[in-house]
Amino acid sequence: MQSRRDEILAKRAKLAELKRQRELRASQTTGGRPSIGSPGEIVAPTPGRNSRHDIEALINTLVGESRPGSTTGGAGSPGPRGSRPNSVLSAGELSNETSEYAIASAAGQTVAAPPAPPAPPLIMTTIPSTTVFQCPPSPVKEVFSYSKAVQTTGEWATPNRTRAHSLSDSEDLPGVTSTPNKRQSRRERDREEELRQNIRKEVEEELKAAREGPKDGAAQPESQSVNYPLRKLTDEELDAVTASDEFSGFLDKATKVIERALDQEYDVLTDYALQGQDVEDEDEDSGNTGGKGRHRVKEVAQFFDERWTKKRMISSIDFSPHFPELMLASYTKNPTAPHEPDGLVLVWSLGLHDRPEFVFHAQSDVLTAKFSPHHRNLIVGGSYSGQVLLWDTRVKSGAPVQKTPLTGYGHTHPIYSVDIVGTQNANNIISCSTDGVVCGWSMEVFAQPQELLELKAPPAYKIEDVSPTSMAFPQADPTFFLVGSEEGSIFPCHRYDRAGAKAGIDTRFSYKGHTAPVMSVDFHPARGPVDLGDLVLSSSLDWSVRLWKVRAPAATSTAGNEGAVSPLLDFVREDVVYDAKWSPIKPGVFALVDGAGWLELWDITVETEEPVARISPSARKDGRAMLSKSLNKLAWEPTEGKRLATGGIDGTLTVFEVASGLGGRDDLKAEEWTNVKKLVNRVEAVGVNGAMMV
Amino acid sequence: MVDPISISGHDALDEKLTRLSKKPGVKATVVLDRATGAILRTNGQLSNLISTAAAALKSPTDGGSFSSEAGATQNGESHGFEEFTRKVWTWVNASGGLVEEFDTEDELKLLRLRTKKQELVIVPDAKYLLILVHDTPPA
Repeated sequence: MQSRRDEILAKRAKLAELKRQRELRASQTTGGRPSIGSPGEIVAPTPGRNSRHDIEALINTLVGESRPGSTTGGAGSPGPRGSRPNSVLSAGELSNETSEYAIASAAGQTVAAPPAPPAPPLIMTTIPSTTVFQCPPSPVKEVFSYSKAVQTTGEWATPNRTRAHSLSDSEDLPGVTSTPNKRQSRRERDREEELRQNIRKEVEEELKAAREGPKDGAAQPESQSVNYPLRKLTDEELDAVTASDEFSGFLDKATKVIERALDQEYDVLTDYALQGQDVEDEDEDSGNTGGKGRHRVKEVAQFFDERWTKKRMISSIDFSPHFPELMLASYTKNPTAPHEPDGLVLVWSLGLHDRPEFVFHAQSDVLTAKFSPHHRNLIVGGSYSGQVLLWDTRVKSGAPVQKTPLTGYGHTHPIYSVDIVGTQNANNIISCSTDGVVCGWSMEVFAQPQELLELKAPPAYKIEDVSPTSMAFPQADPTFFLVGSEEGSIFPCHRYDRAGAKAGIDTRFSYKGHTAPVMSVDFHPARGPVDLGDLVLSSSLDWSVRLWKVRAPAATSTAGNEGAVSPLLDFVREDVVYDAKWSPIKPGVFALVDGAGWLELWDITVETEEPVARISPSARKDGRAMLSKSLNKLAWEPTEGKRLATGGIDGTLTVFEVASGLGGRDDLKAEEWTNVKKLVNRVEAVGVNGAMMV
Repeated sequence: MVDPISISGHDALDEKLTRLSKKPGVKATVVLDRATGAILRTNGQLSNLISTAAAALKSPTDGGSFSSEAGATQNGESHGFEEFTRKVWTWVNASGGLVEEFDTEDELKLLRLRTKKQELVIVPDAKYLLILVHDTPPA
């Protein structure tokens, strides 16, 4: 800074010297001139041409370096003004100066001649240049040529007569200036000066800021904060944003994520060393538990949604084969909410306690629903109206992506059971309605069934019609299945004609034992060293669960077989039994739910008279007191077999966890399989009573 | 049953946020615009987001006027809230920048900021931000 100031001082001194010389010369020349005016002006430049050149060159150097130097033209005029320090001129002074100058020239001051008014040259160039650059696409020919002409004369006439800073706005012959233009020119010039001034100010401010920058660095973000938020949204904008699909989609996703985050019970920051005294054995006594030791059952979660599940009943439950924490429950309609969809399937996650992960709906009560074992996004369901429905978790609306028609082609009666059979690459949906129609559907085509089977009771029965209430496929054979009927019998059925039997109910034999509608049929999952795949559990409204051994479907009828197979074992309970399911892992374990609201766990290798554990879901506080306990359905988690879920009349889905004796792979022994097999063989040989006596 | 079949538009959105704020310990939820930081939705108690001491430090100029005390506190409250969202917003942007500096293909998905007193859970999206403040479980 200091060096620069010195430089400027030196230059100023030089300039003063030059001015003095010029003044001298001026007095000489004006002496010979009587008056001044436009003609005088034309002549004026000539005398001191050479010396003026010098001066101007100098001024140029000055001006090139410091912007304030632009005023030197004015200051260059004689008189007291010459002594003014031109580099310190402020805007006010500047404009003053020019006006003074104008007045002076108007008054005909003799001294005005040599430093030809800077104004005229400016105007001559700026106006045309603006027109040229501002409206280049103008189609009018005249304007174009005119401005061009002016520009060229202005530009090229005297480029060396530069008086102010840049070439463009200084060159001209002062003499050419005509008086009418003068006023305009002055205005123009003023504007120019103002602009320059502004630029100067800005630069100065920037410099100042740069100098002060390090000192008030903290202030910078503060000033930024004034700008936050960049702008306040108006109400309309807010409405527009919040009404957008994108926004609601985001909110849906984000709230789910946050709820999951909050539902995480484990605190990663827990410091166990900090709290020595209040160690409570939460595992043993707190919460809702049943059974003891290896056969303990504990309630781990309950799912209920005020809006969706109130006053609905759970009609089926299924665990996802792909995600062990996901399960679905299908619901019947809520009679008090006629505007809500009748049918509902909710997908719950153990990681999200207070709301379902997905909500799917249907126009009619959903009576059964299942995750597709082959596709993680698909859910198949059956409705009261007789439709098979397909939902996709990728579809946001929750409406079924496919549904079968309500025509004679498919079902016209309620579908209480649906299954997906086959392999990854070739699978079918099999649905069964209460009028005895069994349909096979392709996953892709729902317009009409690929196969349709009408079940007819064997001739021995009084009524030809069969009303299936449940259906079950064995693990190994997708062409053979059992159907539990309303009348109490369980019928073996074939999907296709085969040796010795036509498609439909196998008329040669049936499984008779239940005296009331059969509510469930379940094949043994049979994944072990011993094949137990022919064991079947059935539950019924006659207060019992029965264990059957089914005959191989291909077996030709043996002689003397008169159609009735009796159960191996009879588990008589204290209430109607709605569902019974084998454990997917433990060969001897099964669970049942009854009308009194009990979940019972049995292990036939341990005990065939009493359950090894029983538990009832804890009642919800605001639930109905009467007739709300009954449990309709139960499901095992298929991969580990440690969790099971129950649901019933009050629409609450309850998840239980069982100890090692009832589920899980940790405590699995090979002899359990052989024990079951032995038991079955014994019972087969001597009957139940004989088995108990041994 | 009061619920109509389709709780549409705002009600449905509000329902989601109120459901969140009804969870135990949740103090407030805020939805911001990711690009501008403009506040789109708020829910819950906003006053105690920034502790009173910090708020007092922030607005010493407001202290002098006793004439409109209620208005002043209101102002201070909303100011403190704005202050809070601004800070969170800049912080999220900074984190997002950091992630992108490591790997331009990468993207910020979730932020949890646990302090002694509370926890911020933030879900950033391409266009929006959801911020939730809740008390940390005593442990």
